[in-house]
Amino acid sequence: MTASALNDTRTLIDELLAEQQRLTAVERFTARHEVSPLTRQRVYRDLLPAGGPREGEQYAFSVELDACSGCKACVTACHSLNGLDEEEAWRSVGLLHGIAGEHGFQQTVTTACHHCVDPACMNGCPVLAYEKDPRTGIVHHLDDQCIGCQYCILKCPYDVPKYSHKRGIVRKCDMCATRLAVDEPPACAQACPNGAIAITVVKQAAVIAATREGVFLPGTPDPAYTQPTTQYHSRRGLPHSLLSADAHVLRPSQAHPALVVMLGLTQLSVGAFCLERLLGLIFSTNLMMELSAFHSLVALVIGMLALGTSTLHLGRPLGAWRAIVGLRTSWLSREIMAFALFAGLATFQAALIWFSPQHAVESNWLGTAVAVSGLLGVFCSLMIYQDTRRPFWSGRRVGLKFFGTTFVLGAATVLFVTTLQGLLSPAVANHGAYEQLTSFLTLSLAGSSLVKLGMEALIFRHLREHDLSSLKQTALLMSGELVEITTARFLFGLVGSVLLPLAFLAQRPAPGPATLGVTAGIMLFTGLGELLERYLFFVAVVPTRMPGGFGS
Amino acid sequence: MSAFRQWKGPLTEELVLRPGEFGLGQVPARLKPDATVNTICGFCSTGCGLKVHLRNGEAINLSPSVEYPVNLGMACPKGWEALAPLRAPDRAKTPLLRNPSGELKPVTWEAAVRVFAERFKGLQEQHGPDSVAWLGTGQITTEELAFLGALAKFGMGIRHGDGNTRQCMATAVTAYKESFGFDAPPYAYSDFEESDVLVLIGSNLCVAHPILWQRVLRNRHRPEIVVIDPRKTETAMAATRHYAIQPKSDLILLYGLANMLAASGWIERDYIARHTAGFEVFEEFITRFTPEEVSRATGLKIEQLWQLANLIHRGQRVSFWWTMGVNQGHEATRTAQAIINLALMTGNIGRPGTGANSITGQCNAMGSRLFSNTTNLLGGHDFENAAHREKVAGVLKIDPGKIPGQNSWPYDRIVQEIESGRIRGLWIVGTNPSHSWIDQSHFNRLMDKLDFLVVQDMFASSETARHASLVLPAAGWGEKEGTFINSERRLGEVKKVARAPGQALADFHIFQLLTRAWGCEELFSGWSSPEAVFQILKEVSRGQPCDFTGIPDYASLEAAGGIQWPFPERDRPGEWAADLAASSFGSPERRLFADGRFFHADGKARFVFEAPRSLPEAPDAEFPLLLLTGRGSAAQWHTGTRTEKSAVLRKLRSGAVYVEINPFDAKGLGIQPGSSVCVSSRRDSIQATAFVTSTVQRGQIFIPMHYAEVNRLTFPAFDPYSRQPAYKACAVSLKPAEA
Repeated sequence: MTASALNDTRTLIDELLAEQQRLTAVERFTARHEVSPLTRQRVYRDLLPAGGPREGEQYAFSVELDACSGCKACVTACHSLNGLDEEEAWRSVGLLHGIAGEHGFQQTVTTACHHCVDPACMNGCPVLAYEKDPRTGIVHHLDDQCIGCQYCILKCPYDVPKYSHKRGIVRKCDMCATRLAVDEPPACAQACPNGAIAITVVKQAAVIAATREGVFLPGTPDPAYTQPTTQYHSRRGLPHSLLSADAHVLRPSQAHPALVVMLGLTQLSVGAFCLERLLGLIFSTNLMMELSAFHSLVALVIGMLALGTSTLHLGRPLGAWRAIVGLRTSWLSREIMAFALFAGLATFQAALIWFSPQHAVESNWLGTAVAVSGLLGVFCSLMIYQDTRRPFWSGRRVGLKFFGTTFVLGAATVLFVTTLQGLLSPAVANHGAYEQLTSFLTLSLAGSSLVKLGMEALIFRHLREHDLSSLKQTALLMSGELVEITTARFLFGLVGSVLLPLAFLAQRPAPGPATLGVTAGIMLFTGLGELLERYLFFVAVVPTRMPGGFGS
Repeated sequence: MSAFRQWKGPLTEELVLRPGEFGLGQVPARLKPDATVNTICGFCSTGCGLKVHLRNGEAINLSPSVEYPVNLGMACPKGWEALAPLRAPDRAKTPLLRNPSGELKPVTWEAAVRVFAERFKGLQEQHGPDSVAWLGTGQITTEELAFLGALAKFGMGIRHGDGNTRQCMATAVTAYKESFGFDAPPYAYSDFEESDVLVLIGSNLCVAHPILWQRVLRNRHRPEIVVIDPRKTETAMAATRHYAIQPKSDLILLYGLANMLAASGWIERDYIARHTAGFEVFEEFITRFTPEEVSRATGLKIEQLWQLANLIHRGQRVSFWWTMGVNQGHEATRTAQAIINLALMTGNIGRPGTGANSITGQCNAMGSRLFSNTTNLLGGHDFENAAHREKVAGVLKIDPGKIPGQNSWPYDRIVQEIESGRIRGLWIVGTNPSHSWIDQSHFNRLMDKLDFLVVQDMFASSETARHASLVLPAAGWGEKEGTFINSERRLGEVKKVARAPGQALADFHIFQLLTRAWGCEELFSGWSSPEAVFQILKEVSRGQPCDFTGIPDYASLEAAGGIQWPFPERDRPGEWAADLAASSFGSPERRLFADGRFFHADGKARFVFEAPRSLPEAPDAEFPLLLLTGRGSAAQWHTGTRTEKSAVLRKLRSGAVYVEINPFDAKGLGIQPGSSVCVSSRRDSIQATAFVTSTVQRGQIFIPMHYAEVNRLTFPAFDPYSRQPAYKACAVSLKPAEA
């Protein structure tokens, strides 16, 4: 190439690069952009009900399954026409498959919020960030009211509300209420090439009756719980044996580390206070007076730490005070209130002990009040999870875990603190009841831990089940993908909460650095074991949801 | 309590909707456009109209065009997400040249085009003109395809070039050419709405072409919808009848049906006599395909065969549709022609709701078929025909001697000649063969054998670009102008609504630069802009079946909502608008062969047929299962270089490769649902997750083609006439993966 050709190329390059950046479409083509409003109206007429809902009625999505062929345009339209985040969409499409007669069968299922008659999300929300519109029945989410506790995500059996990390709140489908208000169908309904999605008006009493009969869609959770209003229609009929395409895909759930720590430490704190109260009844007042001050201080500090940690779980912790408004329906509100009361009473008691020990120990009512409020808090924690209706979180299982942890961690803590005090104060160490006290603590720790570990291990019974139940999936997760954590949980538990306490008991050692080391080990291993138990509590639970796609 | 509740605020504000105006409904307030413009989708050949929402001339959102006659306000997920790939962080932003230590490093355009010219010229001087070849695409505009083909063949003297249309449409091209005399899909989409019997063969329309399925559902004639497919696909579920034949028994089935129809007198002898040639020999040939024979081969019961023959017989307007299940077979051309034969013998052609209709793959496959200057000389002409060369040279104002007198090597031959060492330099434009070519591992070894490999693409991250010596960064769909031709032969214009990142340039501009760098600009003095090339191509098309000389310019395409070819210039210039009225949506005028005249010199269509051949690689004791491949989901496009850039589309597909396997086979092989399995063929082994489902038959497995692993398994067999790879069937074995 000659030098001049090269130069020419350079100017051509500059010219073309400039040309590439020039946008010409507007000036050339935007003259023709108006669409006859009739075009849209014709398309929309079939997608909206003739009139709005009357008393006892509400709007609902209506899905013609025969027409849903799995193109998933509804999902992208929801995303684009609502201006959602890059990966966000309030509608999804899953797949049911199985056999009909002798032939293979598949049914794609488009799904969004079911705008339930009795929305679990709304009932669980501690700050009343959900509102079921009294006229339309649409379940709205008040984005600016939300504090990002994500309890609605645990509560919704259909996995509808989704957490936005960058905003610290949950967002969800509002059936495009703004569009409906001007007779425009929701984005998903507008976008379905097959007209499979429409808006209809349903009688709420009819929904309640039908969902009580279990009428909804195969492969989905019991509709009686929230009474979902979406109307799935299928003329060809769906075999009851259909499985969701993702039924066999085991995925650990979210870990919620702040909640793991919060639950573990509140239960430790409550356990320590309760034991303190219990020991006061059994052992000499004298000894307990020596111990109380330090015990209650440690329990209080850890309790406060726990409550502090819990705010880390919130997307918008500054709004936590709003939880007061949800008391009527939300166990989360109740938990927050119970622990607030517990913290207040415990602080008062600790202050009293430090400043007027004699008075404090004698005023039994205060210790009892602290213990009761703490237990009430733990009970509310239990109910939070029990109320999600997940089998792994049944009241019995959660109760065993939460109250078990309360006792186990309380005992380990009191044992350690008592040993520490024995080392520091001859008055404690030389007290006649000291050895009885530590023996009592180690024995009850070892015994209760053994029972708790045994009960926890019962989950593996479900591995023998033929059907892939939710509990079997949990057991599979714990023995599969989560096997290292599960093993560690049982090892820490056995060593820290059973073997070491028994060794301690056999030795009956005098207070000294070695003893302190052993009890510190007991406390550390027991604590780690219980935290891992709680971690598994979250990650091994199998939430219910609508049918998903294979691998998506 | 309401005093404690925040009903409004900045977070609520983010989701507020406002009337969008410009014919739009409510749109997100923060994405409210100040103008809109219509364009054509750049994924598949359906060619949907998309309305791009603009602010300051730049795209901020889009929605399907309500007024475009193809899609009527609908789009599939890919169309909705068409803007997302443009904003991908891994766009190629500067030319990249591999340095001596083997890394791709940014260089200037000046250096890039200089190296391009020096290296390719050097190879040609040293090893002859056949030492450099190109592989093109169906994804760029017609104007760009023509520029690429003309520049390469007439300007650079590269004799051999082919496109990725070889992987999807070559069979339809060959079949139509031989049967009709020209590569001419005869239908309009309105035929989906007019039929009373639709027969879909090897086509999962619901997933591959969701908007065409929309057109099927608009059919008001309560049609019988017949799906012939080994799998219980989404389309098979939605059909009124599904015939789950054994894989690749389609040709025998079609001949058998022809035999039953002919033997029963259910054929249009009058039509056959007047408009076709070769029926007598065909009628004699098909007698050997007795119902018993066909039943044995296809796995269908004899009653089912009669039921199907009856449906075709009783239908007043029967249309036959095929896609890759037919095109990607070892005897694909004859299979496509067996479909054409059925339409011809039953008179189901040239009338509303009829036809033997190939549904195309890529957005501009039809543009590539007519104007890529590979298999055909520009405009569907013949390189071997001197008169054609004269005509084209005349229009282009170049020396006819510049036009080669022989055809290009097809894709597989180009690959073969890389292996033999005859081809040493390769230029790949807008396609990703390192993922998509059959027996991929072999192909990739050859890529590393090349002396110089140029990859021109939007992404430097594609599997193919990783082998490149030089990467030329291309602007994508939406960042340039030009036209596409869709499956129903409709020309539509794509608009420039986004700025290309960095120094990426439209392929058109890249060709302009290369023309200069090569020193052949005198040949292309008229090729100044896409619209100038459009005018040249119009002239090239004059007198051809694809004549579109009647379309004045881009503006008229826009005004008409796209125009189907043929659209020849009438005697009175300026009458195009009146013609247009007749060409608008719903008019029966825009399908071909209404007059029964085909494009062969005698005006008659041909019955073309041949004895079926067995599978090139049938299952055996060692590899007992048959691997089927195909589209996985409507959210995935081919090798995923674009669809994988959209976070929403990624939610709608499986992230990792999976294999569908029948529950009986899974049980027999000890494979648990959702477990990891090892799939092996004679070429290679891959790992995949088992999706145990009854939608695949026993003895068959299915893996979607979008996962790069799949083509490590496929067997390189080709249809002998179209040279299209037979992706649909190869022998494999399956076992649980080692833990």
